[in-house]
Amino acid sequence: MTEWPGIARKEAPSTDAYRRLIERLPVTLRPALNQQLSQWETLFPFEQNRFSNFMKGTATLSPSALDALTAPLQALELKMGVKHWNFSEASDTIENASQLARSEYYAAWRREVQRVFEAINAAARDSTLIQADRTRLILLFLPSSLPVDPLSAWKLWDPRGHVIKISGNSGRFCELAMQGQLNLSGIATLAAQQGSVESSDLWLIDAEAKLSGMLSSLSPIAVSSLSYSVLKPFRDKFLAELNKAPKDIQATDEVISKLRLESWNGWDLWPLEVANQPRLRKFVIDLFLSGNGAVIFSNAFVEWAAAEVLRRARPRTIVARFGMRSKPKPFTSIAVFENQQRISSLPDVDDPENSAIDALILARYVWLAASRYPEQEHTICLCVSEYRDSAYVILPAGKSLGWSPERPVAPEELYSWLGAQFVS
Amino acid sequence: MDASRRSLLKAAAILLVDRWASLHRCAFADESPSTSGKNERKVIVLACGGIRRAESFSDTGLGNIPHLYRELLPQSVFYPFIRNAGATSHYNTISSILTGNWQRLDDWGKTPPVNPTFFEYLRKRMELSQDNAWLISSNKALTSRIGASSIRDFGPRYGGNVVFPKQLLINAVIRAAEQGHAEHSADRAAMQAELEAILQHADNYEGLGWSVSGETSFLDLRMQDSMQQAIEGLVRTNVPITGDEFTFLVSEEVMRRFAPSLLVITFSDVEVAHFGSYSMHLAGIRTMDRLVYELWNLVKSQPSYRGKTTLFVLPEFGRDFDGSSTNGFFNHRSIDDSTSLTWMMCLGEAARSTDVVERPVQHIDLCPTIAGLFGIKDLDLPGKPLPGLSA
Repeated sequence: MTEWPGIARKEAPSTDAYRRLIERLPVTLRPALNQQLSQWETLFPFEQNRFSNFMKGTATLSPSALDALTAPLQALELKMGVKHWNFSEASDTIENASQLARSEYYAAWRREVQRVFEAINAAARDSTLIQADRTRLILLFLPSSLPVDPLSAWKLWDPRGHVIKISGNSGRFCELAMQGQLNLSGIATLAAQQGSVESSDLWLIDAEAKLSGMLSSLSPIAVSSLSYSVLKPFRDKFLAELNKAPKDIQATDEVISKLRLESWNGWDLWPLEVANQPRLRKFVIDLFLSGNGAVIFSNAFVEWAAAEVLRRARPRTIVARFGMRSKPKPFTSIAVFENQQRISSLPDVDDPENSAIDALILARYVWLAASRYPEQEHTICLCVSEYRDSAYVILPAGKSLGWSPERPVAPEELYSWLGAQFVS
Repeated sequence: MDASRRSLLKAAAILLVDRWASLHRCAFADESPSTSGKNERKVIVLACGGIRRAESFSDTGLGNIPHLYRELLPQSVFYPFIRNAGATSHYNTISSILTGNWQRLDDWGKTPPVNPTFFEYLRKRMELSQDNAWLISSNKALTSRIGASSIRDFGPRYGGNVVFPKQLLINAVIRAAEQGHAEHSADRAAMQAELEAILQHADNYEGLGWSVSGETSFLDLRMQDSMQQAIEGLVRTNVPITGDEFTFLVSEEVMRRFAPSLLVITFSDVEVAHFGSYSMHLAGIRTMDRLVYELWNLVKSQPSYRGKTTLFVLPEFGRDFDGSSTNGFFNHRSIDDSTSLTWMMCLGEAARSTDVVERPVQHIDLCPTIAGLFGIKDLDLPGKPLPGLSA
């Protein structure tokens, strides 16, 4: 089989060849694959490699072997009555998901899909998708404005971790990570030393606009930067369009499809850090269309963006900073899915205690999202509560704190230690 | 809750139901006691959205449910393991509870249940009037079609009243914004004008409430008029108002005035979890806990309910587990026990012998149980009557 593209990102895929391969697969596998193929240019390198690898595995299997592998799944599709559904093969839709989820065979279908994917990926014999042995880093910040409960702060985190007491101004740690100082490299420099060359390998995700504002202008590599507050003009317009969707699954799918294809460039709403990056713009649109509060609450945005980045780009480094949300407003709080500033003239009022509750569980969710992938075994996760001058660190096997957890450490010492762990 | 705010909400709910009752008085005047259901056994089912055991009946969650745990659990038959083995969406779950069959319908209520609801069984077998069967819901994922099945021998003529009080509030707020009147959401008199404008246009009624009393569901304009009265009370306050609070108050007034034999209430404040605010989700659980307690006290204080009522309280399902690929508490899509396994509490007449029944039961067991409580025992349903209850 010589018609398959060699390495993703270096050349566009042979679309017709891929489509013929996809046609050989069971119907319920096709929407996601067709959708990725149609959006090839805006996929991250990891996604392109994964797709190519899967196609390579499919092509490797003889028709009879592929039929044998997928026969149980096709039998399930028959029992589910998929051919009688309004089932899109072109892309994933809410209606597709809804029809699958309400089938009495849904659990069995999920198991079969998992089995087929694993077998095809194994057939590709490609274990180079992820360089899993390189250390990765997830840095999470709960800013000083969030009064995290000292008793529950780290209680539910991965028990392998350690609580760290920070002496002095723990807010300094974030500055060091973004800017470095004379004898300490900033996070972008450390990522470059780790071999990162692509912007999808280093992400800054922020409820406010602190991270990109602090980032050194001397960053040696490109960075993917998303800020909930900076995206506000785009969010407001997007939410208004999204809320036009009627209470009907098919109509909602149509609205979503329209929003996905909308030429958002014409609205002149993109912030500078996103405007010239089609892949990043597409990621934001996908993020907002996938729900999970990303367009409603800043902390949900940070968590869901980080989870999707981990799933789709599998980056070496993520820095995520949570923030404050406003108190629900009188009367309008029953319509939380609406733009509160648009539907109420009352001023926003901060809600620090509840923002802290939200941010704390969502920071943990970022780590849990990372934990689903094999590279988590080589990932350092550090979550800093600036309000508590405290942090929680989860280290890969073989790495250790190197000091007694009882001893408070200065931000400079902590950052220096972290940098050494990251690049070692 | 602030007393003045509560009294305003209460006044609004009274006004709503009062208006509805006066408009229907002629229709009810000739009904015999048996057809109106007075002095008969009563059943209330309260379903409260997606709540995980981790945030309720578990060591980590008991602080969110002080009334359920300390006050009500000791006087209940408690089922720590009830499984939702159907589709864990709101419309399918509620219709599965109502029908005793796992429903696998359009998630947004485009089609009615494909098996008779207990509203229909009861009204047909016991010749009960429509004011004896109500579903009052906060949940905007439901539609009026849930009140009656598509089965020809049953259907809408035996269905229940279905009302969505919260949707009117939402529509009013959105309309004010669309008209460029954001300042009205903070101003009582201005908001009242917005509401009146909504209620003058039938096209804007979608989702507010229906009376299911014919071959097709239609909007009962008199009910809409009553809801306007309720809203007039609501807009008199500038503190946060929850949909469940209003749903409770409307339910309370329906109980006072109609004393229906069968009342289903669904809460949904906890569903704010879909937007990723855990603190607001927990607040929704605490509101539910308080409202269940108030509902039970109301049952005990009302002559038409005292000593003859069985109350079932249950989440529709749990929510996805922390670390799931479906983003944990945000959703209820996973097929894990965190989502499908939850708890149920039964209080009142059928729970005379308090107990904890650890044997797993299912949501579809409620329908044959309720039918049995009303003396209807020959239904061909897949579920089994719940163990541990008195006849």
